Amino acid sequence: MSALLQAEGLELAYGEVSACRGVSFHVAEGEIVTLIGANGAGKSSTLRAVAGALLPRAGAIHFRGHDITRLPPYKRTELGISLVPEGRRVFPFLTVRENLELGAFKYRKEGAKVRALMEKVFDMFARLRERQSQNAGTLSGGEQQMLALGRAIMSEPHLICLDEPSLGLAPVVVQDIFRTIKAINAAGTSVLLVEQNARYALETASRGYVLQTGSIIASGSCATLRNDDRVRQAYLGRSAAEQIKL
Amino acid sequence: MLTVVLQQGINGIVFGSLYVLVALGLTLIYGVLVQINFAHADVVTIGAFAAYFFTFAFGGNYLISIGIALMAGAALGWLVNAAIFAPLRERGNELLPLIATIGVSILLQNAMLLWFGPIPYAFDSPYSNKVIRLWGGTFITLQNLIIVVVSALTIALLYAFMKFTFMGKALRAVSQDRETAGLMGVNPNQLIMLTFVIASALAGMGGAMLGPILVLTPFAGTTVIVKAFAIVIIGGFGNVEGTIIAGLVVGLIESYTTQFVNPGLTDIVVFTLLLLMLALRPTGLIAEKREENV
Repeated sequence: MSALLQAEGLELAYGEVSACRGVSFHVAEGEIVTLIGANGAGKSSTLRAVAGALLPRAGAIHFRGHDITRLPPYKRTELGISLVPEGRRVFPFLTVRENLELGAFKYRKEGAKVRALMEKVFDMFARLRERQSQNAGTLSGGEQQMLALGRAIMSEPHLICLDEPSLGLAPVVVQDIFRTIKAINAAGTSVLLVEQNARYALETASRGYVLQTGSIIASGSCATLRNDDRVRQAYLGRSAAEQIKL
Repeated sequence: MLTVVLQQGINGIVFGSLYVLVALGLTLIYGVLVQINFAHADVVTIGAFAAYFFTFAFGGNYLISIGIALMAGAALGWLVNAAIFAPLRERGNELLPLIATIGVSILLQNAMLLWFGPIPYAFDSPYSNKVIRLWGGTFITLQNLIIVVVSALTIALLYAFMKFTFMGKALRAVSQDRETAGLMGVNPNQLIMLTFVIASALAGMGGAMLGPILVLTPFAGTTVIVKAFAIVIIGGFGNVEGTIIAGLVVGLIESYTTQFVNPGLTDIVVFTLLLLMLALRPTGLIAEKREENV
């Protein structure tokens, strides 16, 4: 089977501190796949390895048939991977417009294409159109998340990686963001979603992997995972498990 | 009295423009790398020597020599970054490249000492004696007019580059968040190289225009660079607009202190301002505005 993204036996570490051991997963064309787990389980590290921000100690990552394990981030963007980083990481002193243009950096020599893509993003997020000349640092958290999403789709990625898109946002805004993620996926982009809010993640994705202290402890369709006791424990915590209904 | 004030204002702007050219390079490199380039002064000196030899040894036109110095600076910036700074950065140590800039500075100074000797060169611009009369009894030499016009054009070009081109926007993005810029498809190493080339080109052309003002020795650049550092700090490290304003302000302060207080006190006044800025407004003249996020 040829998956869009295939990660095998990833060993990730920050200096001496190990973040992941033997993590393997895949994303097929057109899927939304989620990695869930508690804080510090290694979800973000895994996503950063896919985007190229963290080089694995061992293991391999293949994307559309290319071995990208040691490829620098900017080359992965050219291949069609796009990351929405944790905490949005918009460029605060660039305008909304300029942020979006940066997202289309690989099309920098095709002005008309960049403008067309920007129109698409503005159609998707009317707020961004209104605020296109404002510095991104002056946007609200929800607007920044929209900008980070818009910026990521400016490169027309095959795979969009989302790192904690709900972090620090009001529930209403979170619902909006997840609706948009589904819309982006429906338009043909595969999604790899890392999320602490397991409820939203399992509602949005079709398949999931559960990470606990750096290893995958469960995987399967989201419907199955929702009813898995180990899963409930891993991401909801023991005491909270009873209070939160899925 | 008014004539004197205006005249010193003109002089201040002339010096200020040169300071801006030199300080902008420092601030650009700081913005992108969060690193001080101690070899920047020597690029200024090499620019001055390049212009001197082009004009006097080869009988070239002084205006063209400014372009020659610009190219010499750019080439030197490229070479030093490619050969020394970039390989050191690859090792992931923050301190090595910083110390290397001091090493490169000593190397360049001593190479120039070997080739050009310690005796000052008399670098007179052919335009220094042509005086243009302005309003109210003030005047400007053609040389100084060239300095102001060339600097203003260069600064405007740089500003337009940063504001309107893809590479310029990428450069600003890298200086705000290098990792995220990399994730957008920007190759940070390419942008760092571009920054070194631009910064050194500015320093080289600044040197060509400072040459006739400074005492041209292999150490000429160091006298300017101290002020350039002060300007970079007053303008807010990495802030281009702040650096432009701070450079002109320092030029004017120097000029007025020389006229109305005491020529010997100019450095004291400038560095007192620097200390006051550090104490009262450490973010620089223009603090970049950032609202709290929800």
